[in-house]
Amino acid sequence: MSPNDVFDLLILVLLITCALAIARMKDLAAAVILFSVYSFALCLLWVHRGAPDVAMTEAAVGAGITAVLFFYTLARTGRREK
Amino acid sequence: MRNALALVVVIVLAGLMMAGVSQLPPPGSPDGAVHRHVAAHYIDGGKEAAGAPNLVTAVLLNYRALDTYGEVVVIFAALLAVLAVGLAGHSRGPQRGADELPVSPVVDLVIRLLAPFIALFALFMILEGHVLPGGGFQGGVVLGALMILLGLVLGPRRLRRMLPTPALFWTRSVALLAFALVAVAGLALAGWLFALPEQYWLRELIIVGLELAIGIGAAFALVGFYLSLEADRHR
Repeated sequence: MSPNDVFDLLILVLLITCALAIARMKDLAAAVILFSVYSFALCLLWVHRGAPDVAMTEAAVGAGITAVLFFYTLARTGRREK
Repeated sequence: MRNALALVVVIVLAGLMMAGVSQLPPPGSPDGAVHRHVAAHYIDGGKEAAGAPNLVTAVLLNYRALDTYGEVVVIFAALLAVLAVGLAGHSRGPQRGADELPVSPVVDLVIRLLAPFIALFALFMILEGHVLPGGGFQGGVVLGALMILLGLVLGPRRLRRMLPTPALFWTRSVALLAFALVAVAGLALAGWLFALPEQYWLRELIIVGLELAIGIGAAFALVGFYLSLEADRHR
């Protein structure tokens, strides 16, 4: 297993961990932050796999803007999952 | 019972996906089906044909321009939907709600200090998107994020005063209009939608113009979402 594969594998483990944590999280604000972490890890994977254009979109939209929009929605609806 | 059912569904779906993935060629393999079909043609002539040395941009804005046009329409339609459900009313609330904590001075200072550099980077991404990774949409999102950050620091009212309604109207629709213009011009001059003129510099100019339009459109669509949500919060 080359160091490249180890890097990919670590990112994939982080992605799966984040996804499971988001699904189980009752505190929605924490879930939004974890979603940003998920997007950023995915962004690293895109860069590593040679797709910088996609990585930039992922970082700007996934890790940046959606979190802000989600937070505004949470401010209107409520922070805890019922 | 429900859990067991969910487990079965997950196992079946995961099995199907694994079976599909196992048949894929290794990433980057020159024998992969995607690399033997049209990719070689794009790599050979993409730069000249589409006016963009960055082949991702060449595919997005020329070979698959209709797809990208559809994406621009989707963002615009989402903005229209948000505006149509009546969230667009001017904020009647206080400049900063009484229930809000003031923005931390650290955040305030850092955003004010970084703002010009973020703006420059966004412009760089938009204008160099046809040569380097990045492009109109990515740069536009960064620009939109910058304006949202400024809205958080300065308050949405001041942001709204800086962006008067006619400017919002035109900047939101500029991506759609520019795309339609390029498509129709190609149809009129060369006979098919999104056809580009012969001269390379003119092709490059059109691509840069499209990137700029997409960037401005994306940025102001995001600001539109933000202003709507902000106005709605004070009802």
